[in-house]
Amino acid sequence: MWLESAALGEGVPGDQILRLDHCLDEALANVISHGGPVALTSLVLLRLVVRRGRGISTADLLIVDEGLEFDASVLPSGPLPRPTSLAEANPGGLGLAMMRAFSDDLSYRRVDGRNHLTISVTWTETT
Amino acid sequence: MPIRYEDLSNEVRRISLSGRLDTVGSEEIAEELASLATSAKRGVVVDLSQVTFLSSMGIRALIAAAKARQANGGRMVLLVDGSDVVVRTLEATGVDELIPVYDDEGEAESAALA
Repeated sequence: MWLESAALGEGVPGDQILRLDHCLDEALANVISHGGPVALTSLVLLRLVVRRGRGISTADLLIVDEGLEFDASVLPSGPLPRPTSLAEANPGGLGLAMMRAFSDDLSYRRVDGRNHLTISVTWTETT
Repeated sequence: MPIRYEDLSNEVRRISLSGRLDTVGSEEIAEELASLATSAKRGVVVDLSQVTFLSSMGIRALIAAAKARQANGGRMVLLVDGSDVVVRTLEATGVDELIPVYDDEGEAESAALA
């Protein structure tokens, strides 16, 4: 699988790869579910960049797709509302909740008609 | 995504999932999971102890199965092995507050009949 191979090649620890793996699965599911017809017939660009500082490293996973623009204004900036009972559970927004839970930072931009989502995880390097 | 089940008694069914419950894997088992949960006589324990990856699609499948079980009377609970990833996903999505979660098999089976 591309992510594991690329991340291992960059020295990303296994537990951080798993966090990125969760986020990537959710992001691609969103592209398929909400990106519209163009998203289903166009390529998705994936790029992994690892930045290393003094004992702190960050992996940025960039996902670029040509689907419909994501309207971030419809989402609350804080915690997403949760159902209080199974009967009223209508599990929308779970993917975003999971990406927030498994990443350290999410950033979104619309550039030249494409969605650019960057998922970042940060860890402390051990010697 | 393998899915197996065993009727532990006349009233409790254990449904065991293993491997990756990612978006693709969850779609493969969602219908069968709901069907197995609904056709059980009363209580259902969904064993996630061998699941290594749980996506939001997997969460949706669990919620759908639990709702179907509840609509037919009875209760569905989850059994985990305490692994960080699955528990973290359940907590992050609030599902642990909707479907009871246990890390002890006996407790899970008793709770399914509560």
